[in-house]
Amino acid sequence: MNDGPGINAQNLHAGYGTEDIVRSVSCSFTGGTFTGIIGPNGSGKTTLLRAFSRVLPSSGILELNDRAVSEYTPAQLGMALGFVPQDEGRPFSYTVMQVVLMARYARTSRFASLTPADYARCHAVLEKTGISCLKDRSIRALSGGEWQRVLIARALAQDTRVLLLDEPTSHLDLSHQSEVLCLMRSLAGEGSTVIGVFHDLNMAALYCDRLIMIRDGQLVADGTPGEVLTPEKIRAVYGADVVVSCHPATGRTFLMPLPSRTGNPAHDKSLNVLVISGGGSGADLLRYLSGRGYQLFAGPLATTDTDYLTAKALNIPCIPILPFSQIPAHALEKLRGMLSRADRIVLSTHPVGSGNLAVLDLLREEVPSRLIIHLPEGRDFASYDFARGTAAAAYAGLCSAGATCTSEYNGILACLNEASGRDMEPTEKSFP
Amino acid sequence: MERFTALTRTVPLIIGLAVVAILTIVLCTFTGPAGFGFVTTAPGAADIVGGIRFPRVLAAFFVGASLAVAGAAMQALFRNPMADPYILGTSSGGALGASLAVVFLGGIFVPIFAWIGAVVAILVVWSIAGRKGMIPVETLLLTGVAVSFFFSAIVSFLIAIAGQNVHQILFWLMGGFWNASPSSAILAAFILVPAGTLLFVMGRDLNALSLGEETAAHLGIDAGRARWTVLGASTLLVAGAVSIAGSVGFIGLVTPHIVRMLIGPDNRVVIPASMLAGGIILVLSDTIARTFFSDLPVGIITAFVGAPFFIWLICQRGTNT
Repeated sequence: MNDGPGINAQNLHAGYGTEDIVRSVSCSFTGGTFTGIIGPNGSGKTTLLRAFSRVLPSSGILELNDRAVSEYTPAQLGMALGFVPQDEGRPFSYTVMQVVLMARYARTSRFASLTPADYARCHAVLEKTGISCLKDRSIRALSGGEWQRVLIARALAQDTRVLLLDEPTSHLDLSHQSEVLCLMRSLAGEGSTVIGVFHDLNMAALYCDRLIMIRDGQLVADGTPGEVLTPEKIRAVYGADVVVSCHPATGRTFLMPLPSRTGNPAHDKSLNVLVISGGGSGADLLRYLSGRGYQLFAGPLATTDTDYLTAKALNIPCIPILPFSQIPAHALEKLRGMLSRADRIVLSTHPVGSGNLAVLDLLREEVPSRLIIHLPEGRDFASYDFARGTAAAAYAGLCSAGATCTSEYNGILACLNEASGRDMEPTEKSFP
Repeated sequence: MERFTALTRTVPLIIGLAVVAILTIVLCTFTGPAGFGFVTTAPGAADIVGGIRFPRVLAAFFVGASLAVAGAAMQALFRNPMADPYILGTSSGGALGASLAVVFLGGIFVPIFAWIGAVVAILVVWSIAGRKGMIPVETLLLTGVAVSFFFSAIVSFLIAIAGQNVHQILFWLMGGFWNASPSSAILAAFILVPAGTLLFVMGRDLNALSLGEETAAHLGIDAGRARWTVLGASTLLVAGAVSIAGSVGFIGLVTPHIVRMLIGPDNRVVIPASMLAGGIILVLSDTIARTFFSDLPVGIITAFVGAPFFIWLICQRGTNT
């Protein structure tokens, strides 16, 4: 293996009593990386971490810094590996400093007292974790977040090259979360091996170099956040739908859970609904209808349009077109096909100029009776007209040709329900 | 400099307690219903002071110290400030041994049987709780409570059939030093010195254990070995105390509390301070019992005076124990 600090586990089994929670896990961790262990509740994340730190007996090969963990004396282990638990009981009112000083026990003989250097080191980690001001406070008087930072400070004061963290940010507020995780990153940058269990996949993706996903005690994925956090893997392991994208500000993989599609069983899922929108007018509507389980399609959308990004993220098929150009003939042809398959078409009123006027004409020709037009409260067609009156006229023409016009999403739902032969469910005002 | 402020607070405290302890022992040796002063030539005074009172005062000191140290160690180990040294069944085991000796042997070898009973109780608890290797302390506690109740049931049965010997058992249950002899003082010291020293040396281990056994392991402490060492030393201390004085309540539970209220929970200080304070409290209680209440069982005094004092302390300091 390598020369740096690290953990190497091969075919590791561990558990409580006779039952194995962690089964046949093989992975190794090297210095300079911050690895996140992710997985659903009860998947064995914490068990794996506790097996690494030897508080749980394990079978298989487990090496720490190229030496079998079983060969370490307890004191050697305390100098090689630091552990931050999720929480810890506080039956006695030690001061924060007393608790952090306990990290130095492994380094001094029980007959010698702690040296000024030990005190200096503890002051330094209190400074680093931002809790110097709490050093003389009783630990029983601390908030959950302050206590969590004390536990982190104590592990740092152990001065180990390997650091294990069990959900180190579960009690922290937003700014302290990023403070602590930045600190972990910088430790990894200095050559330490940092391994943390995470519930928050976005935090894990943002700060970890590498993610390990486990399910039922077995390793199912191992790689960079981008490789591990795919919608397919998340669906398989967590049973949840997510949108995965690259966050424009951080450039890191970013996840967003989607509302469960099975949440509104009252609606007819087989109803094909085509949404025609543009200029960002339909994004809300797409999300609204998608959350209610309809089979959605979208019309021609410019690839720079918010509606296009929304449709992509929600896996709604659409007709991509170039921005600021005439809708090409083949796109209109495709639209014609979609129109013929759709049970209902929802037209979200959007800016229409000479480039996309053809869409309204096509609607007029094909399907006015199956058309529902959404015009937001307080707006009129003229305000969407960028074709010197012809667009407004075209919109009005659709209405007079038999299309339903509504200003509320509930009105759209009512029409769709009617189409699927159902009564409207009790109205809901709130958005998903 | 922080280091030295800690030292400047604790060292005078320990020295002060030691001075108070010596003064208490001396004063109480010269106090009693026979009422001898320091300088006396009354006939028999030397026999009473040197042969009866002094060993009794020393025995009370060592027993009080043993119980308080064991209590402090058990509270840290079980991460529970309400744990007392009898929590694993020592007192009920001792009571059973003593009762058996009273009922079936006509009251001879009571201390020996009490000691055997106390140790047997602990061994039973260990063997039940420890069957599956590494056991959580909660299992140990629950097993201790269950075994205690079982032994107490047998003691109650023995009381029911004891007939005219019943007061002997009852007095034993309440605890006292009527039978204290030079040999009991020597026995108590013989256990206290090594076991107390061992627990004092293990102050750091106790600190780490009081945050959890896993925490202790993560901090580089051999948690399993530390646990069994603490339990073993505490058991010897409590069994010794029980065999000499019966089950004297309150000292082991409350002395460590009072000490922690004064100087905080660091066991490197709590252990020696509890040792001295427990001895002082029990010597004073026993002196009151034999001087003013015609040798009432001392357990009654400790609880009667100590419990209200403890409640007053709690009210003074809030929940900051």
